[in-house]
Amino acid sequence: MSAISIENLVRDYGNGKGVFDISFHVNQGEAFGFLGPNGAGKTTTIRHLMGFLKPRSGKCTIDGLDCWSGRDKVQARLGYIPGEISFFDDMSGTEFLKFIAEYRKLGTQNRKEELLERFELDPKSKIKKMSKGMKQKIGIVAAFMHDPDILILDEPTSGLDPLMQNRFIDLVAEEKEHGKTILMSSHMFEEVERTCDRIGIIRNGRMVAVDYAKALRERHTRSYTVTLESEAAAEAFAADFNGIRNESQVTVTTKQSLEEIFMNYYGGDKHDQHGAV
Amino acid sequence: MISMALYKREMKGSIKLLVIFGAVITMYVAIIISLYDPEVMKTLDSFAKMMPELMAAVGMKTNTANLLGFMTSYLYGFILLIFPMVFSILRGNALIAKYVDKGSMVSLVAAPVKRHTIALTQMTALISGILLLVFYSTIVELICAESGFPGELDATELVMLNGGLLCLHLFIGGICFLSSCLFSDTKYSVAFGAGIPAFMYVLQMLANVGGNAENAKYFTFFTLFDLDNIIVGKSSAIAAVLVLFAGAVVLYILGIVLFERKDLHI
Repeated sequence: MSAISIENLVRDYGNGKGVFDISFHVNQGEAFGFLGPNGAGKTTTIRHLMGFLKPRSGKCTIDGLDCWSGRDKVQARLGYIPGEISFFDDMSGTEFLKFIAEYRKLGTQNRKEELLERFELDPKSKIKKMSKGMKQKIGIVAAFMHDPDILILDEPTSGLDPLMQNRFIDLVAEEKEHGKTILMSSHMFEEVERTCDRIGIIRNGRMVAVDYAKALRERHTRSYTVTLESEAAAEAFAADFNGIRNESQVTVTTKQSLEEIFMNYYGGDKHDQHGAV
Repeated sequence: MISMALYKREMKGSIKLLVIFGAVITMYVAIIISLYDPEVMKTLDSFAKMMPELMAAVGMKTNTANLLGFMTSYLYGFILLIFPMVFSILRGNALIAKYVDKGSMVSLVAAPVKRHTIALTQMTALISGILLLVFYSTIVELICAESGFPGELDATELVMLNGGLLCLHLFIGGICFLSSCLFSDTKYSVAFGAGIPAFMYVLQMLANVGGNAENAKYFTFFTLFDLDNIIVGKSSAIAAVLVLFAGAVVLYILGIVLFERKDLHI
């Protein structure tokens, strides 16, 4: 059964902005990567799922509940990291997390402490004075602390350093093992291919591909086998270029960037329009 | 139902303003009431005779017969209108529109709390502040009048008057609240939430000056707060106050319904 489903969603902002006839679904217990350049319509789609926007036409459901009319019921089981983090500036991180726990009517039995430890976050300072990365961590804790079944993550690793990005990816992988359904948007192919089973690619408001991550990866990686003069040289080459050595032959693979993948699908128009999401 | 967690947060956010305005009101009420003195009143009346337009513009009329009449002239034309109004404007905007504008509304709507619960909570916080200000003013007026001029002030009349004042401020709060729910941009929320009451107040000042300008009274809701006739319990004045109250109810309901249906680009 699909936990998240979007059918023929349309929202036209004019000037070619918006989302046009988008359809895809995310199965129960699946991690879905939602990939696209800036301004492609990822956030607009997610806002519909969150019940912030009413579909002009089409339908969004989560667990069979309409995302607009049943939004409060949907929200009970949902964890959300917004693409643009903006909390109550007048509060400290501690106060904010306490407020959210109270507001969501969570008891003291929640995952706050565990998550704060995992991301090495000391939330005592004022949110206004926090760095982007710290705010992002607060957002992660707020999204995961009530142990939701469904996670909607809008560019969740932005602002995090590589170490914390890895920790976040590990967290997502763990959640997936626990049977959680995950929709994660990103503009980086590498990030979603590491965690997601399936990937949907959106461009200029239209879904251009929905496929298994493995299939996409295979389609968009190229491998080369080179023969070197000696095994020693081959070993050094394999170490430097992350290749697999077989005697004096080394096989290296390259991944295409997202932009190249788009090019592959559509040719031309290398630079996607950038703009407000 | 309202969300207690959110209500607590918003009341905390109102405290600073409430304390400041409470202090200002205390000061003014104490000073004005202490000025009540037939001799001084003659002086003030002579001012009013010398420059009737200016005095009338701020609601000060001549021939204030008793202490309450004196108070209506000198407190209810400016101090007790402006300060609660400014409170409504500032808090009304901050309760919904500011959250939407800054994007922090996400934290409130991305939770299993219905939108009308959020709006109802914010409305309750705004009304609580207005109630506190009007209630506090009444207490201060009673204390100052009783300590300075025992037996001079008819408490029932004062309560009637402040009941009317409360309805007026609920109505103003309703304008601010509706504007906050309607606009996703602080700019517009403030423009309407502050602009309409301020413009109406200016019309009221014009109308007070008299002459041709008196016709301005037909275009401002402040006319519905008819001080002198409320005190004497005239039924038309009471009806006008009830109109303000009914208007307030409509404004708040409209605000909640709009917020419920609104697209949030956050």
